[in-house]
Amino acid sequence: MSDHLPPGTTENVKSSPRAFDTLRDLLVGPERRDLEDLRRRLEAAGLTTEQIAEHLPEAIALRAARDEKLARSLSPTIEGAIQESVRRRPEKIASAIYPIIGPAIRKSIADTMAGIVTAINQAIEHSLSPQGIRWRIESWRTGMSYAQIVIRHALVYRVEQVLLVHAETGILLAHAAPPDLDTTDADLVSSMMSAIRDFVRDSFKGREQGGLRTFRVDEFTILVEQGPRALLAAKVRGQPPDDLLERMQVTLETVHFEFGDPLKQFDGDAAAFAATVPLLEERLETVVATDRREGTPRGPRVAWGLAGFAVLLLAAWFAWSTWRWRTAVNALAQEPGIVVLDTDRGLRRSRIAGLRDPASADVREVLAQAGIDPRRVEFDWEPFVSLDPPMVVARATARLAAPAGIALALAGDTLVATGSGPAAWVTRAMAAAIPGVTVVDVRGVTPLFPETIVRLRRQIEDRQIQFAIGTPALPPEADSPVSAIATAFARLEAEAARLGYRAALRIVGRTDSNGATETNQQLSRDRAAAVGRALAARGVATEAMETVGVGSSRPILGDDPADAARLNRSVSFEVGLALATMTRGGFE
Amino acid sequence: MIQKKICMVGVFGTGKTSLVRQFVHSKFSEKYHSTVGVKIDRKPVQLSGTTVNLLLWDLEGRDGTQEIQTSYLRGASGIIYVADGTRIRTFDQVFELRAIADKAVGIVPSVCAVNKVDLIDAWQVGDERMAELDPTEWHALKTSAKAGTGVEEAFHWLAGAVIGERPE
Repeated sequence: MSDHLPPGTTENVKSSPRAFDTLRDLLVGPERRDLEDLRRRLEAAGLTTEQIAEHLPEAIALRAARDEKLARSLSPTIEGAIQESVRRRPEKIASAIYPIIGPAIRKSIADTMAGIVTAINQAIEHSLSPQGIRWRIESWRTGMSYAQIVIRHALVYRVEQVLLVHAETGILLAHAAPPDLDTTDADLVSSMMSAIRDFVRDSFKGREQGGLRTFRVDEFTILVEQGPRALLAAKVRGQPPDDLLERMQVTLETVHFEFGDPLKQFDGDAAAFAATVPLLEERLETVVATDRREGTPRGPRVAWGLAGFAVLLLAAWFAWSTWRWRTAVNALAQEPGIVVLDTDRGLRRSRIAGLRDPASADVREVLAQAGIDPRRVEFDWEPFVSLDPPMVVARATARLAAPAGIALALAGDTLVATGSGPAAWVTRAMAAAIPGVTVVDVRGVTPLFPETIVRLRRQIEDRQIQFAIGTPALPPEADSPVSAIATAFARLEAEAARLGYRAALRIVGRTDSNGATETNQQLSRDRAAAVGRALAARGVATEAMETVGVGSSRPILGDDPADAARLNRSVSFEVGLALATMTRGGFE
Repeated sequence: MIQKKICMVGVFGTGKTSLVRQFVHSKFSEKYHSTVGVKIDRKPVQLSGTTVNLLLWDLEGRDGTQEIQTSYLRGASGIIYVADGTRIRTFDQVFELRAIADKAVGIVPSVCAVNKVDLIDAWQVGDERMAELDPTEWHALKTSAKAGTGVEEAFHWLAGAVIGERPE
């Protein structure tokens, strides 16, 4: 405090400090207190910054512990600062985070590459195997690249190393590994593993037996199976299956059983355990996704194969019988007069339903020809009349009982009959009502008449009536023949009518060649008319007769001119037979 | 080839790891690394009749002798006890460690390596103390991991002892 006083006053202050203080208080007391106050405030203001610097870390820690507000209020600033820093000096940030990011990226890439390399190695290994070929086919089938297929079937797990370790000393007794793997440090790995297990056992006390069975190192899983004198460890890449430990246990038990004495007497010489290597090698396995199938034992595989073959046979039989059934049904449907509406195929009995014209083919025969046993088929036919032309003809043939000389054909709704057949049949045919047929055309049929009619006709047509020269007058001796003709014709008419035919009699008059043609023509007509009148007088209906005069134009030949002249001065007869339904005709 | 488990035992900083490094890799580093848990190394040793592959379990050195992890000693064929010749207390502790180990694994061929003999000025273990190591129980010798003094001998002697042959 004395430093603040002017130098001149020092002696007095020292000589009488109390008096001076009293005086000073009296003189500038209030001002001095103000001054003190001001100075304190000034000093306090100056100290704050330092004090903040002093207490900032604690303050931040305190506040951060209390709530999240500090982090929230700071984060925009920090983000801004980082952004600014990245914008202005990116290399600084890059070098700062490099030590973290570099290894992280490297590790990630290395892991991925290791996986891919393993998968590709497996692929190369398998490329000529059936599996590889399967993969190639799958690649070709799916349109994916072979590599994609391979990765899809990537490694599930691979047992890369199997170690047999002496339990007490941790010394490696034997080990197995694929030839491509470097295993020079197997003995160290073995010891180290024992040490780790010892450590774990010590750390988690109370579990004397068992201990660490599984632990992971990078991408490896170490599985440990503990036995009384030895333990078996497997280094597995990928995800080991649950039953691997069980299989390892079996191996370990075998080792204990077969190598019990060497294990008991083990003094550091592992030579005796070289023989365990084949046992250990059994545990080396590479399993890719599609390998799992190969694990199936042979027995079930054969069974599956047989089952598959049986299914195949069954399917083939089913396909064949289905095809045969369809063929048969189609054949049936093709048959005229059969309409298949519904089929129901059963294993033992089948059913066919539809419409069937009674005149159609025998259904059972059609089915039997197609290889289907008709006894196993139930039929449900609705009778119907088919208008299918072959059916109509077949039906007409059946209905009309057409004789051998008759051919039937259908033109539209007209049944056309040709050939020759009994006159009675023709009449019947004309009158028959056949479904599908409106008209039976028998004009092409030559009717064959019974013997009676043929004989009567000959009796009439063999006769001639002779006339004297130049006259149309019927001579008296013609009386008898005319009567005979009238009688024969009456009988013939009756016979024909029974068959549905109508008989007609044509009377043809002639003259000799002497005289004028005109005169002769007239003379011949008069002669025919005279005979006609004579027949009418004996009961022959005029509408059944027809008189024609041919003069000398159609002469009958004689032995000499005189005989010929005598023969032609005559009247001859022709008999016509026509169906009763027809108005005219019947003359040949 | 015969393999044998050998343990390096001693309190911290006596030079167990350095002795192994010198023996296996013929290297020495002034830097001090404390071992955590156990480190394992191997070295084949050529003896007159045969080769012994030594698996060297370098145990973590701790402050007190009570804390030693005896489970690491299980199955050991031989033990190398290491003392620091410049710290007399570590020499005393060797006897305590020996008692614990004998109890845990029984009596096995043992070597007592009083290490750091290169540090003559700081040396504290006099000949009368060295004489306390009974030759029927120990093979005692002064070693220097730094200079390599006695290192080969210590391991060779033990290798011979564990397979039951005594080198001359």
